[in-house]
Order: sequence, then structure tokens, then C-alpha cells
Amino acid sequence: MFERVKENWRVLLLVVVVLGSTVALFAPQFAPQTAPGESQGDATQGITNLQYGLDLAGGTRIRAPLLGYTATGVSFDGENPSQVASDVAAELEDTSTVDVNAVLNAEGGSEVEVTDASVSESEFRAAMDASGYAYDGIRSGVTQESRDAAEQVIQDKINEAGLSGGSVQQVQSITGEYFLLIEVPGQGRQDVIDLLEERGTVQIAIAYPNSSADDGTAVEEEVLTQDDFEDIGTASRREGTSGAYVPVSVINEAPEGETSPAHRFQNAATEYGVASTSGGARCNYDMEADALGEGSDSCLLLVVDGEVVNAFGMEDGLARSMASGGWADSGNFRLTTTSFADAQTISINLRAGALPAELDISGQGTSSTISATQGENFRLYSAITGVFAVFAVAGMVFLRYREPKVALPMIVTALAEVYALLGFAALVGYPLELAVIAGFIAVVGTGVDDLVIIADEVMSEGEVNSRTVFDSRFRRAFWVIGAAAATTIVAMSPLMVLSLGDLSGFAIFTILGVLIGVLVTRPAYGDILRRLLTVR
Amino acid sequence: MTAIEVPEVDYTEYSNRQLVLVPLAVLALAIVVIGGWYAVTGAPATLGLEFTGGVELRIADDGSGDVEERIETAFDREPDSIRSIPADDVYVVTFQAADDDPDGLASDLQDQADAAGLSTEAIDQVSASFASDTARTAIFGIGLAFLGMSVLVFALFRTFVPSIAVVASAFSDLVIPVAAMNLLGIEMTLGIVAALLMIIGYSVDSDILLNNSVLRRTGEFYESVNRAMRTGVTMTVTSMAAMIVMAVVATLFGIGLLRDIGIILAIGLCADLMNTYLLNVALLRWYKFEGVKR
Repeated sequence: MFERVKENWRVLLLVVVVLGSTVALFAPQFAPQTAPGESQGDATQGITNLQYGLDLAGGTRIRAPLLGYTATGVSFDGENPSQVASDVAAELEDTSTVDVNAVLNAEGGSEVEVTDASVSESEFRAAMDASGYAYDGIRSGVTQESRDAAEQVIQDKINEAGLSGGSVQQVQSITGEYFLLIEVPGQGRQDVIDLLEERGTVQIAIAYPNSSADDGTAVEEEVLTQDDFEDIGTASRREGTSGAYVPVSVINEAPEGETSPAHRFQNAATEYGVASTSGGARCNYDMEADALGEGSDSCLLLVVDGEVVNAFGMEDGLARSMASGGWADSGNFRLTTTSFADAQTISINLRAGALPAELDISGQGTSSTISATQGENFRLYSAITGVFAVFAVAGMVFLRYREPKVALPMIVTALAEVYALLGFAALVGYPLELAVIAGFIAVVGTGVDDLVIIADEVMSEGEVNSRTVFDSRFRRAFWVIGAAAATTIVAMSPLMVLSLGDLSGFAIFTILGVLIGVLVTRPAYGDILRRLLTVR
Repeated sequence: MTAIEVPEVDYTEYSNRQLVLVPLAVLALAIVVIGGWYAVTGAPATLGLEFTGGVELRIADDGSGDVEERIETAFDREPDSIRSIPADDVYVVTFQAADDDPDGLASDLQDQADAAGLSTEAIDQVSASFASDTARTAIFGIGLAFLGMSVLVFALFRTFVPSIAVVASAFSDLVIPVAAMNLLGIEMTLGIVAALLMIIGYSVDSDILLNNSVLRRTGEFYESVNRAMRTGVTMTVTSMAAMIVMAVVATLFGIGLLRDIGIILAIGLCADLMNTYLLNVALLRWYKFEGVKR
């Protein structure tokens, strides 16, 4: 028994791989994960656990960079980042501080970015030169922080809209430029663009102690609404502490006879006790109870879509300038938080879905949309194309050998290779796309090539009547197969990592197919052939 | 019934010079075509949407019979091409990127199609600057793959002439399909880039087989060549059959990516037959009978 297992372990390995693929393809345990609010039936497309990419299921893919320029290797000369940002902004006409961000990084990696789409590279260069800060160079694109923020905003929007399978990621081209790659299944191009541009409602309210209310708290709503903000910066770290802040500026101009938002906010802050000449409020807000905590001063509340997402007090210096009435002249303040993550959340919330920089879809991006029916058609057509290609290969092999003993196992082995790849795709949840199907067909092609090499080598020079003869011939054939596999892998590997459309799927599955072929299926074919040829 | 046999070629009838002449002439012709194309159009091949930028719409044929006329009148801009895909009941309409106003082109076109009562099944929009980036990436990728393959081949054989024979025929296998594309009016797309990379992997197989048979195996030169040829031609013809069928079926259904890969691989494999069994054999023979003695 053990001898037989040892003798045929290559065939057994192939059987195990095929069985494993069957489990991965059909067992409900490996079914795609469901999005919130989605039933299992919706997540599973068809009878298998395979998932389909956009061009086989319908949906929209957008790949675009965030507009802006970044000065790299900036020397801050000991200034804090916000000072640097405002110095640079001051050199740019019509660009406010919040469209310029400075990021302090260790070891000369500090950067200054401008996210105002109307600023050209030369204008930014001139502003950097005029500001007097030394820098290494200027590249197009925004900082890592802004890209991360944009990615987060888009992911939040996709999740909120309940679009299952939607994804956003950062990809880099060989020129070093970063793109955001957004994929939303089942949605049209305009729907996705609308979603990206949509904004929620944000307001700042003031909660103040009121002994007549049940929970001791009264709230003055809409002290500031999002239209009152001129600009909202990205979250920045406070130097020397673990804290962070979001710079914002409030509109401080109003038509004759009206109060500007900044003045209104200043008055309200003073009136409800957030700011006084002695300093700012110390806030202790109970988010669970939606009320001020024990002994808390008044709080500023950040309300997004009707829900309080954060509460904060006010720094003493700012409070004094509000109380004295001078603050509204500038309208700038910082919302401070204890952690950088909180600051990021606040920045995102305040923007209410606005991206930190403009996503340039039509200028430097690409988008592609496929309707669901077209996707389903493609699924059927590509399956038909694949089947025809396999028939062509099978036909050629039969014509050449005229011996089912040699040809039939060849076809079956090549198909087992594709089946194993499908199983792998189902197992890791890799969405099938047209490019992946092309990879499958390429795998059938290379797979059969190698089987032809094995068959010809083994059957050359007369009868195969002993195991030793067979083994030595098989090993000779394997040198060529190994060399051929290595060249295919080397040739396809650049495609795997370069950002070239969805061709990475083609490369990944061709390489995987070659690996499964060399390690599992082709040795098994050798064993099958040996049994058929040596056992009489 | 006997199996179809690969015909044996009597190489002794031809001198090395004669053998090399045909593939080198074809290669030279291909280079002239590509060079000429570059001189006239500024690009080595007719670039498709992905490399020039623009918008491609798939518009459903609703069976009213006048869709094509409606497409021609629906848009403010003249479409650059309208292709009908009968098997899928759609028309593929392409617009090259406009230099003057690239903004919002895709949305405008979709609105105009909607206004004309045409239903769009798919929209692909590629901006011009993204496209040029893609082109650079593609050339870089092909170069890197070719370099990697060359290094690997030299490492495998460790002798100059047989290795350079493989690399030279792989180079020719890449150049000939590109020239053929130009002559057949096929546009350069991402699918073609994938196919070219695949050719680097595929075409080397038969060369490695030949070199292995001649250099690493015992036996007389012509016997070794014929043995490798029997296997190699079967391999290449089998792959070609798969690719031709894929190209034909995919063309019927209008799946551009699969069609492009199929056509280019079929041409590349055809070129490979010629390069392997004329160019490579001649170089190997020279190496075996004259080169080694030096």
C-alpha cells in the first residue's frame, strides 16, 4: 500500500489539489464575505464561490491623482508647521492657509503641499522661494497624509452608501506619481462621481449648563454651519506633544447690516460661556448621555448629520481674543484634539465628505464603466472563448498523436491546471476579470506545450519498458520545462507590479499557472504517462 | 491511421548564409516599417485609446435599425471611429482626447447619448497625461522583461553564441508582430503589451528546447535539430491554434482584450517558427561546426 502511494504520489498530489479546488469553489464556508445589510445570496454570484471583477459584473473603476504640488525636504528652520504653512500661503495670491499644509517628518523628510488646484507649479515654486525656507525639490501630487485622508474619506462614503465590494486604494506609477484607484461594482460612472462629490451636513453647536433642563444641558444649534467655513485644513501634529489639531478659518466678511459668521460665532462663544476674558472652557462631555458631564464648562459640539461626533473646549489664548472681540478679524482657529487620529476624523467630518484635494478624473485620470448586462455578457462570452481555445488545443493534440492514451491525459491535465487556478481565485477571493481569463487561456497554452515536451521526450528513442528509462527521459524533459517556466515567470513579473490597467491579474494568474504546472500537474502527467506506457 | 508528423527539413542543402537571410530580411523589413511609422506618426505603432487618451462608449443596438445614423448625429464631436459588434448587439464608438477641452468629456458624451435615446453599456475614459504615463510604463515593463529573460538565458547556457541566438530570435519575435500590427491597422492597447510580454516567455520555449537538444544531449547535430523540431513545432502550432481561435471568437463578441492578445500571440508564434528553425538553427550550426574550433 505504502509503496503504491510512494510510487504515485505525484498523481495523488494532483488529485488533492483538484479536490481542494472543488472545496474552495463550492463549499459555503469559502463563500465571499457579505457586506453589512447584504444577504448571502447577494454576495455569491452564481453557483460557485467565484467573485467577478468589474468587467465581468458591471461597475465603475476610477483611477485619478489628487491635484496639488508638494515641496520635499523642506527645512523648517525650527518654525512650527503651521507657521511654515501660513508663511508659504502668504506668498500665494488667493490661496488661504488651509490649502497649504506643512508636515514635519524626521530626517529631512518634511514637506509642504499646496492643494489649491489653481496654483501652478511655477507659482508654488516662486512662493516657496519667496518664503525663504530651503527645500530639495517640487513634485506634483500631495503628501502621504492628504492621500491617506482622501482614501479614508472615500472609503467612508462607499461604506455609508452601502455599496458592497467597493474599494479604494493608492497605487503608484513608475514615474512615482500616486493615484487613487476606486472601484465600485454595480454603479454607473456618474453615480460614483456624484458620490465622491457629495457632502454631508456639518454644524458646530454649543452645549451650555442649564439647571432647568432635565440633564442640566441646553444646546444652541447651528452656531456655525459648514457654509460658514472658508477652509478646513488637514489634521496636523502639535509639536512636542502627542496632541494634534485641525486648522480652520471662518468667513469674517458679511454684506452691510449683517453679522459675519465669525462675529456671530465670537458672540455666541462669549454668550454661552465657552470663551471669557479669564480663559477658555474646560469641556467634559458625556457622549453616551448626550449631555454635559459633571462639573463641565460649556462645550463646542461637532455635529455631523445630526449626531454629535466630538465635543471640545477652548484654549485660553483663543478664548481671550474672542472675549475681547479681536478674533473675528482673522477668523482662524484650531480645533485641538488629544490624538492625531481624532484630528483626522474631525477634519474629515468637517469637510463632510469633501476631499482634502481635488480628484482630477478628467484631467489626468481614467475611468471605466461597464453596465451589469454588458458584464454578464462578457462573462458568458469569455467562457465560450476559453472553451473554444481549449477545443483548439485538444484538436491539435489529437491530430498530432492520434493516440488517446497520450492525448487524453494531456487535455485533462491542462484542464486540471485551470481548475486549480479557479479554486485558488475562489479561495483568496480574487475577482475574475477579462485579463484573468486571458491568463487562464495562456496557461492552457503553456501547459500543453510542456506536456508535449514530456510526451515527445519520453516516447522518443523507442519503447519505454523500464522505470529507469522512463525516469531518466522524464528528468531530461524537466530541465527544458523548468527553464521555459523560469523565462515565462521572469517575463511576466514586471506586469505583476507595474500599474498597467488590470493586467496585473493576467500576470499573476499566468505565473501561478506556470508554478502549479511545474510543481504539480506536469509531474503528475509524467506519472500517468509512465503507467500507461510501461504497464502492459 | 498515422499521426500527423512534423516534416523533416534537410538543413544540409542550405548554407548558413541562406538560412539566415530570410529571417534577417523579415526583421529588417519589420524595423523599416516601425521606423517609418515612427518618422511619419511620431509613434512606433498606431496607439489605441489607452495610450493616447480619449473616450470609448459601448452603445446598445436596440434593434431599431438606425442606431448607426443616430450615433453619427448624437454627439457634438465627430466620433473617431464607430465599430459594430453584431454578436453582442453593440456599437463601439471612440473619441480621441481633445486637447482644447478634456474636462468632463465623458460625462458630456454620456449626456448626449442619453439625450439621443441611446443607452450606453460601458464608458471608458482615459486622460491624455495618464495615457502617456501608461505608455512609458509599458515600454519600461517590456524592456525589463526582455532584460530579465536575456540574463536568464545566458545563465542557463553559459555560452555566448547559443545564448545570443535565443535573445536575437526573441527580439525578432517582438519586433515582427509590432510591424504586422501597423500594416494590419491594429491599434496598440494594453492587451497587446500583455501579449508582447507573453511572447517573450512563450517564444523562448522552443529556442531553449532546440539549444538543449543540440548542446546538452548526445547525438548528431541534424538528428538533434530534427528531434527538437518535432516537439517544438507541435508546441508552437498548438499554441497558435489556441490563440487564433481565441482571436476569432473574441472578435465576434467584441472582447478587445482577448482579441488583441490572440492576434499578436499568433503572429509572434508564427515569427518564432521562422526565427527558431532558420536563424537559431543556422547560428547553432555555425557554433557547433566552426565556432567551437576557434
